[in-house]
Amino acid sequence: MTFLTIVLRGLIRRPVRTGLTLVGIAIGIAAVVALVGMAWGYEKGVSKQLDVIGIDVVVSNMSGGIMPKVFDGKLQNQIQPLPNVAQTTSVLMQMLSIEDAPMMMVSGREWGGFTWDNLKVVEGRLPKDSSEHAVVLGMMAAELLKKKVGDTVQIEADELPVVGIIDGRAVVENGAIILSLEVMQKVTSNEGKVNFVDLRVTPNTSKEAVSTLCAEIKKIFPEGRAMIASEVVGTSQGFRIAKAMSWSTSLLAIIVGVLGVMNTMLMTVFERTHEIGILLAVGWKRRRIMFMVLCESALLGLLGGLLGVTLGALGLKVLEATTAIHGLLEPDLSPKLLITAVGIAIVVGIVSGLYPGWRSSRLSPSLALHG
Amino acid sequence: MTTLAPNPVPVYEAVGLTKQFDGGQIAALRGVDFTIQAGEFVAITGPSGCGKSTLLQLLGSLDVPTEGTLTYAGKSLADLKDPAAYRAQEIGFIFQAFHLLPTFTVLENVQIPMFEGSLSRSQRKERAKKLIESVGLGHRLNHFPTKLSGGERQRVAIARSLANSPQVLLADEPTGNLDSENAQVVIELLLKLHQDLGMTLILVTHDPVIAERASRTIRMKDGRVISSAESGTLPPSTP
Repeated sequence: MTFLTIVLRGLIRRPVRTGLTLVGIAIGIAAVVALVGMAWGYEKGVSKQLDVIGIDVVVSNMSGGIMPKVFDGKLQNQIQPLPNVAQTTSVLMQMLSIEDAPMMMVSGREWGGFTWDNLKVVEGRLPKDSSEHAVVLGMMAAELLKKKVGDTVQIEADELPVVGIIDGRAVVENGAIILSLEVMQKVTSNEGKVNFVDLRVTPNTSKEAVSTLCAEIKKIFPEGRAMIASEVVGTSQGFRIAKAMSWSTSLLAIIVGVLGVMNTMLMTVFERTHEIGILLAVGWKRRRIMFMVLCESALLGLLGGLLGVTLGALGLKVLEATTAIHGLLEPDLSPKLLITAVGIAIVVGIVSGLYPGWRSSRLSPSLALHG
Repeated sequence: MTTLAPNPVPVYEAVGLTKQFDGGQIAALRGVDFTIQAGEFVAITGPSGCGKSTLLQLLGSLDVPTEGTLTYAGKSLADLKDPAAYRAQEIGFIFQAFHLLPTFTVLENVQIPMFEGSLSRSQRKERAKKLIESVGLGHRLNHFPTKLSGGERQRVAIARSLANSPQVLLADEPTGNLDSENAQVVIELLLKLHQDLGMTLILVTHDPVIAERASRTIRMKDGRVISSAESGTLPPSTP
């Protein structure tokens, strides 16, 4: 018999209560995994998109919430001559409800710009020119909308033919509807407007030089901001709100978990007053008894965490398959998230066990024996 | 001129020991003085409520006196830095109600006190087995306490009390919950331990027949020691 045997025996003496507590923790941790997984997934998806397209700097006005505000497309002409700028291209991107699908990314891209380069046509073709009234669909978008080449897609009041299906090599790209900037501006009544100018800098430009470039752009576009691609997601207001909401909801779930485990451990300590009295009487040190209670609650946390991570991962897979987020983001189920979630569960267990552990270690052996 | 041999340090010495409960409303001990030498078998007798079990709890450091001093091998029990170490290593406690842990087997119950020692997992198991066999329960190793008779449970409790080879056994009415046959077995076992291992045995009992077996009997009444003499030399007690 080891100390762990004693700890385990403490947990299995009330299997129903232990089971219910585990489920309680597991639900909390599953919520953490699902919410944070989606937030991280979104971050990762956008970063991958920028990486795949090869964008170094993004110019936009992020004060508008989830999608940036539109601004005059002539800004691109002012940015192009700046030092270290290799290429620029404008984009008008909006989240729109398309037919029966909920929000989808619709991306109008400057014809001939580098944002078309990463698109691999898997069926059909790209639009012939900047004025062709047509769209290409990312693979997931086509699947979601149940469209194929030759069908039409209604964007706002316009019916646009689907001329191709593309593989954009990033979830965000594959979940998008892509068309030329000119057509997008007409369809959405945003003539001359864009909401992104994407930049590629000249090769071997130092980080400092890119930062200087961003500052230069800020001077000519004071209401907007130029961001290094890797910082785009983190500085997005919408993303920050989504991330804060996911963590605050997770925090609530964690607090409920702490209260649940603490309740269980306090009940355990009250029920086992006599047993603790015996342990004290046969010479167990108070700190060993406290450690025993802490180990029990930490083990509850660990097991609940493992169960929660499993539930959360399964939940995310289900969510991923639903139309609400399909094609918009790929939930992040990285080892970092799973380990973080289990770590949180163990900390929840330990924190919840501190007070019951302290209570148990303060018991008077003679009173506990008669208790 | 004869030289007197120096008095050995008594294993226990109580001076003016009092114990009160409920803020002084109940006085369980009202100034108890006694000395117990190493290797003695002392019976503490007296009517219910006379304070004998309270006294045993103080000896076992399960509680602290309100006033007075109680020393173990010359050291004040109230001032022990680590009372748990004293309970684990110096004494073994045997209770009337056995106080075995119901969710642990016989073999596991006996190992419980050994967690405060330095034995390895296999050494703990081996020692527990030997102790259980020594109390005649080698065939009950993997049984849970609820499957044992009262006598068997008390024998497991005795094996547990010996887990860390203590110097002193404190037994609080060890036969109180047993029939006469099992009571006899338990008393014989305790006597054997006392004789074979030279342990100090302090036993609280109501039973004058058991008290007769002790080398000395401390008789208590109303929280005080009313007599302390070799067993068999005292007049019969009044209940």
